[in-house]
Amino acid sequence: MAFFPGCLVLQRMPQYEKAARRVLKELDIVLESIPRAACCGAPLESFTDEWLYLAAYNLALAEGMELDVLTLCGNCTNTLLRAKAALTDPSLCLAVNERLHEIDLHFDGATTVRHLIHVLSERLEVLREKVGAELSLKVALTHPCQAFRPHEILGFDDPLQPQVMRRIVELTGAEVIAYEAEYDCCGSTLYLADEELGLEAGERKLESAAEADVLVDACGNCQLLLERFQGLMKGRAPEERLPVLTLPQLLGLAMGMAPAELGIGSMMASKLQGSLA
Amino acid sequence: MTGGGLNALLEGCTQCGLCREVCIVERLGAHSITSFLCGEEDYSSWLCSSCWRCQEACPQGVDIHAIMMEMRRDEEAPAGHEANLVSVLRSGYALAMSEEINETRRIHGLEPVELVPAEWVHALLRGQEGREKGA
Repeated sequence: MAFFPGCLVLQRMPQYEKAARRVLKELDIVLESIPRAACCGAPLESFTDEWLYLAAYNLALAEGMELDVLTLCGNCTNTLLRAKAALTDPSLCLAVNERLHEIDLHFDGATTVRHLIHVLSERLEVLREKVGAELSLKVALTHPCQAFRPHEILGFDDPLQPQVMRRIVELTGAEVIAYEAEYDCCGSTLYLADEELGLEAGERKLESAAEADVLVDACGNCQLLLERFQGLMKGRAPEERLPVLTLPQLLGLAMGMAPAELGIGSMMASKLQGSLA
Repeated sequence: MTGGGLNALLEGCTQCGLCREVCIVERLGAHSITSFLCGEEDYSSWLCSSCWRCQEACPQGVDIHAIMMEMRRDEEAPAGHEANLVSVLRSGYALAMSEEINETRRIHGLEPVELVPAEWVHALLRGQEGREKGA
């Protein structure tokens, strides 16, 4: 599949990409980077309709590779798929192609975009075979909002209370705990408008998940707010920090891979030690 | 890309308030687009976490996202959103990206990536020319 990391993962989370590539390789899915891929277009949409040009540009690159796109971020998934839907309008499509032709590209709408969770959800049986270790961990899940909503575009799972991530993680033997804020947004995009409110949203989520040994996410935005920014949250003392892993990191551990192979640092690895039978 | 403008988008809204009930911003005590939809004056179209729950919950199928995008274009953007816009217009990425990214990738055992040429970004987004200088 053609791999679209998105700005956040590309710039700040090579660990997430590394783990995703490693785990998908076990499932015989090779990720090919899309040469010259840019931002999905999401940050432009609040300002201009030209966001569609950037989204279509990325889709056209993948079309040229004749591959469907795999994403690791809810926001990119949502943006690229909404652009694809919008471009079924012939006049819009024409306008976009006029501009793409200037750089020798063409958008046809031939490729589709799937988030990692969607791809994994279609391979549960293979995944079950590959998982060797039983993880004795209590896991809290955070579901990437925009990989599921709007349902008319994303088209899989329950849009308000998604269930497939739970089914994937349960294959590892880990206990998936239910918690009050499970289906609430992490607050990452809110942080762009109001830092304090964004952190408060994340803090509420983490507090609600306190019973877990580890929180598992599958989105650059969730990882940014809940993991990287956890230290900025006022109410959270360092000793209360909840370890956060991305979904492929957890799956890789259950497949018996070494933490270093999955971009899991030694501090995190030692926190999890004892849970990895 | 909404055609009929704000009034047409608002047509189906019955002000039932379901959108506001599921809004994370409202739960935090602040006021989002959902307050506007309920007829309130104290709100910001930028106070949103892009979770799309309001739109999914709306029984009338109102395109709340499109309403928000329309309104944002008339309201001053918060610095964080503005910074992302400027970065995309300058480089093609929301975060400042340079070839140095490939050194980090090498350390993590990842193949180098080829970044989008800046002149392509300018060609694609030329309608925004001048905006890359920032507010």
